[in-house]
Amino acid sequence: MNIDHESFQHMIDESLAGGISAEREKSLRDHLHTCAPCQEYLSASNKVIAGLGGFSFEVDSTLNDRVFAALRLRAQQVQAAQPRRRQWVLISLAAVVLTMGGSFVDLRFGDLIASVFDIQRTQLQHGLLAFWIVPSLCVLLLFPLLPLLSKAGTRRQGRIL
Amino acid sequence: MFEDELISRTSMQSDTQQIALGLRQGDLAVLEALVEQYQYRLVRYLIYLLGRRDGVDDLVQETWLRVLERGSSYDGHSRFEPWLFRVARNIALDAMRKRQNLSLDSDDDDGRLPPSPASMEPSPFTLASRTEDADRLAHSLQTLDPVHREALVLRFQEDLSLQEISAIVGAPVSTVASRIYRGLATLRPQFEGETA
Repeated sequence: MNIDHESFQHMIDESLAGGISAEREKSLRDHLHTCAPCQEYLSASNKVIAGLGGFSFEVDSTLNDRVFAALRLRAQQVQAAQPRRRQWVLISLAAVVLTMGGSFVDLRFGDLIASVFDIQRTQLQHGLLAFWIVPSLCVLLLFPLLPLLSKAGTRRQGRIL
Repeated sequence: MFEDELISRTSMQSDTQQIALGLRQGDLAVLEALVEQYQYRLVRYLIYLLGRRDGVDDLVQETWLRVLERGSSYDGHSRFEPWLFRVARNIALDAMRKRQNLSLDSDDDDGRLPPSPASMEPSPFTLASRTEDADRLAHSLQTLDPVHREALVLRFQEDLSLQEISAIVGAPVSTVASRIYRGLATLRPQFEGETA
């Protein structure tokens, strides 16, 4: 094949694929006026492109309804999960405050409370640890895990549905 | 002329911003309008991508569910279609990996697709051809490399730019261009030797 045709036919491809500069476009147009093989190349390419527009794929008339139903179900699942998530965040925050509060009370007012109730400081510390700090710490550690467990449960439920 | 283009671009941006806002809020009305508007194009893209009709409806449904879940990642700064097709493509590739246990990552060409499965049934292109020219293309399209077929539909049916296609398929612009050239080169002989 003539190298000149090759380069112009590549230019035709480039033009169809994404456009070429005005200058190259002009030179291509000038060449096409005088070159039958390149005209045929362009014509065949245009027929391919036109042919691609000649397909009409059938879409199941129930497909949209099925998609809408699936979307509504998933949206409900997401919405149902949201208040619970907010609840977990609040409980986790409360647990943080309680844990820090317990430690603060012990450090700051431990001696005072021990003298008022006439008990030893270590007894007070054990009491605070057993009934305040450790329970709130457990809540703090456990609750962030619950949303993950619940999410896995929701997914399993979705699969069953 | 410039003003018309500016107005059209501004209007397009406002549309895409509204879509982005609706998706961020999980607005079902917006999503349903998008389903109505893009369903046929999504089906067509997936058929070109896979070279088959069966299983496409499931992928379409999965795509819209993913749009609902990950809609907040669409920022509205560019057109919606390329983002939608990228979502659909990822889902189709995942489904193919699961079905055929293919390792696409090991291929040299990023995002390459396996060839369309051979089937005794008529190809989706044969069933869908409505013109004489389409009839002539149907068989060659079925045997065409899926990435070339995908590039052709995105460029000439969806009218996407090379940059947009490049973002969808995750390949450089030059690779996308060469896929289009090769796709055209494979189909062109069907019409060569005819007078224009």
